[in-house]
This record gives sequence, structure tokens and C-alpha cells, in this order.
Amino acid sequence: MSLVLLSAVVILGILSTQRVQGSFWPRFLTTGLHRNLALMTVVFLVLHVVTAVVDPYTNLGWAAALIPFSSYYRTFWLGLGVISFELLLAIVVTSLLRGFLGHRTWRVIHWLTYAAWPVGVVHGLGTGTDTFSAWMLAITGACIAGVGIALVWKVASGSSDPLADARATFRREAR
Amino acid sequence: MALLDQPDVLAPLPPVGLHFIEALDHSGLFGRGGASFPTGTKWRAVAQRSRGDAVIVVNGAEGEPQSKKDRMLMSTRPHLILDGAFIAARVLRARRIVLYIGEGYIAARDSMLRALAQRTEPERGIVSLAAAPARYVAGAESAAIHFINEGVATPTSAPPYPFELATLVQNVETLAHVAVLARTGAIPGTVLLTMAGGVARQGVIEVETGTTIAEAITRAGGPSVAPRAVLVGGYFGRWMDNDEARRLPVVRESGLGCGVVGILPMSRCPVCDVAAIMGYLAGESSAQCGPCFFGLRALADACTRIASQGSNPVALQRLERWAVEVRGRGACKHPDGAVIFLSSAMSVFAREFELHQSDHRLRQSA
Repeated sequence: MSLVLLSAVVILGILSTQRVQGSFWPRFLTTGLHRNLALMTVVFLVLHVVTAVVDPYTNLGWAAALIPFSSYYRTFWLGLGVISFELLLAIVVTSLLRGFLGHRTWRVIHWLTYAAWPVGVVHGLGTGTDTFSAWMLAITGACIAGVGIALVWKVASGSSDPLADARATFRREAR
Repeated sequence: MALLDQPDVLAPLPPVGLHFIEALDHSGLFGRGGASFPTGTKWRAVAQRSRGDAVIVVNGAEGEPQSKKDRMLMSTRPHLILDGAFIAARVLRARRIVLYIGEGYIAARDSMLRALAQRTEPERGIVSLAAAPARYVAGAESAAIHFINEGVATPTSAPPYPFELATLVQNVETLAHVAVLARTGAIPGTVLLTMAGGVARQGVIEVETGTTIAEAITRAGGPSVAPRAVLVGGYFGRWMDNDEARRLPVVRESGLGCGVVGILPMSRCPVCDVAAIMGYLAGESSAQCGPCFFGLRALADACTRIASQGSNPVALQRLERWAVEVRGRGACKHPDGAVIFLSSAMSVFAREFELHQSDHRLRQSA
């Protein structure tokens, strides 16, 4: 579930950079959904981590959940999950504090999403309990396809900044 | 003693140190560029971050179309401004001073450079000149810094705030007040105003703090024709009803901005003038933020439609709704200033906006 949410957040983030809108889909809906689903993702991830830790069967311990590659159990795959989660935390916290950080800092950190998402996907593939069942493969495949299509489309359509021309004109004149 | 009574002469600078910032605090000096920010607070923030590498920007961009006081001061009191800049450089331990002067203000620039050539202090060696582009937003603090660093006079989003970059951007009038404070132990306690529009003598006057706008108008020879309203603070300011404006004292809290006092005569059509100025402000958006670039253009066009085709309730409501949506949504304060200008106009000229007809019958019957 966390993966599905995270993928949706990434797709919406990409859509918002492309200023997607229609008569039934105003632009603030993209950014609003992006924001709310992102917070929901964090809640689901916290649940995921907490249940994994308190589950007496796994006996992971809090250190394994917070320090990458410190788990005795599936050290590498679990470590990826921890890294992905902590990257997302950094992204969410900097977004909440955006007004204090400045746009440039926020933006650079927000690019970490492109690291957090694939690391999360690999974590799921590497250590998921039902990874190779048909339904889990279908979900993972759909997530990868969704983000992939959005990314390819973003790269292919280039910048859709409606201010680009006006801004260039002003900059030429304000020299 | 008024600022303009001060002689503009070469004299050794008084010794200054960090304690001078306390003197600034006590004096109550505030910025004269438009934001009325307390000068002592600004200097302290820069001083805390300076490692001997602060930059002093002497702001004489004067992008406000109606303002003339910065040019006048640069032309007539260049040494006083340089004194203020050198004192700032010493107190804040600067490595660089930039004279940021509006590109069209040749006389002001030449006057400043002539005065600079006469200086013998070591600070003379760290002064450079930058010609501010003749655009409305070019005088904004962050635009000045962006221009000096990267050659483009567009405002940037904050943070980082200028003081976080150990940069002091200070209006030339403020620096002249700093010089008088350092030399005499007290600030002049005056404000430079540019009187514009319907007064007998347009131009710059200096008034004591606490003077009312009515007295300032009298100092400018009185109204030239029957006045309708007053624009306080220039295009970034707000409209006030004539009677209300006349009672307004010239103090920091009055929001006089850059000191422009524009008197609109009864004979002019406020709706048409507001539409024209909104068109100008929309054209001065640096096209960095959508709400400013598209929003101000939409507001200006809506004003122009009312001015040219006549008013109707739907158009007025839409104007008010749009104005609210633009405010606070730019990286800089340009859209906010334009909206305050428009909203104050719609309240002061409510009747004119409501009854405006394409052929100005309202004005003729009134």
C-alpha cells in the first residue's frame, strides 16, 4: 500500500511540474492531492515500520528500523527500506519548512524523491513476503509503469512554462 | 537641522564602531526606500554575519516613477551619501561598496562620481558603480543584489534574505541621515517627500517628522486645483480620501513608503488613472510568478474595460475577487503592492467605480 501511495505521489508531482489541467481537473487538485497523499504515505510507512518492529516474529528492534544496514535479518534489503524512508522524511520535513529554507534548498532536496522511490521499489522486490505472487507483481509492475510513463512524458514534452517567453523578455530588458 | 540644510563638504569621518548601531536604534531612523524598516535592526543583522566581507549597496535606483527625491539628493548632497556609505562600510566591515544608481539619472551619477573622486578615505578603493535598469522592480533589495551578482535586476525569493548574505541594501536618503547622525549625534528628524500631481509646486520638499500632509501640501504651494484624493507612497502606496489624507502625519507608522504624495484633482477621472497605472504595474512584473504576471494583467485589463466601456456590478465584483487571489502569491511584494493600490482605489473611489460610464457623464454632472 505504501508503494502504491508513494508511486501516486511521484506521478502527481511529475504532473504538477507539467501543469496538467482540464475542465474537471483544476491545477490545484494535482498539487493538493500530491501534498495530502504524500503525508498519507508517511503515515502508512510509519505503520509499516512500527508493525514490522513490534511483530514478535521478526524481532527486528528499533535500531534496525532507523539505522540503515544494521539489521541482522536481510541486512541489505531492509537497509534499502530504511534509506528510502529516511529520504522521504527529509523531503516531507523540508517541504513543511519550505518558507524557512528558501526555494533553492527545498528544490534540491525534493529531487531526492527520484532516489527514494526506486530504492523503495527495490526494497519491496528484495524483501517483500509476497513479492512473486501474481497480484504483488501486478501492483509493483503497475507502479513502475505509471511512474515510468509519467517520467518519459515529462522528458518528452519538455518545459511547459507559460512564463518562459515573458520572463526571457524581461530579463533581456532588465540588464 | 534639516537634511537639506546640511553642508555637503569634505570633512574627516567621525570614529565609529559597533556601538554606532545602538545610536541608530535610539535615533529611531527607518529606511526611506519604501519598506520603512528600522535601520538599526538591519545593520545589526548584517553585522552579525559579516566576516569582514559585507557588501554595502547604496540604493539610488529610484524606480518609482513619481519619486524624485533620491535623484535630487544624489545631485546635491553626494558627500553626505558617501559619508553614510563609508560609515556603514566601517561599522559592518565591508569589502565592497556598490553605487546602484538608476541608469537614466546621469546628473545624479556624475555628481556621485565627482564627489567620490574627491575622497581620500581607503573606502574609496572598494567602491564600484552599477547602473540600475529603468524597471519598477529593479530597486527592490533582492533585485539589486541579483543584478550586482548576476547582471539581471529581477527580485528573488526569500530566504535567503539580503542580511543573511551579509549585504546591506540602503536607500540614499537613509544613508544621508546616517551621516548626519554620526557627525552631529542626532538625526535630522525629517522626511523627504516628492509632491506630485495637483499642487502648485511639484517636486521635493523636506518636512519635519509629525508634519501633516495638509501642511506638506501648503509647503508645496497648496493645491493647484480642487483636490479629490491623495495617493500616499506612490504606486506602491494607497489612495486616501482628501480629508483623511490631510490629517495624516508624516511618521513611520503612516506608511509613506518612498515619500511620494500624489494629489489627484477633481478634474481627473480616477477610474481612468487607476486603470492606466494598473496597466503600468502589470507590465513591470518580472514574469517570474504566474499569479503576478497573469493576475496583474487580468486586473489591469478588467480596469481598462471598466474605464473604456463603463462599469457594471459583475465586473466590479470580479475585480474585487481577483484582487484577493493575487495577494501574497509572488516571490516578491510586487503583486501585493499593486493589489493594495487597486483595493484602496476601489474603496476611496467606490462611487466613481460604480457609476463610471464610457463617456464620463458622471464627472461632468458632478
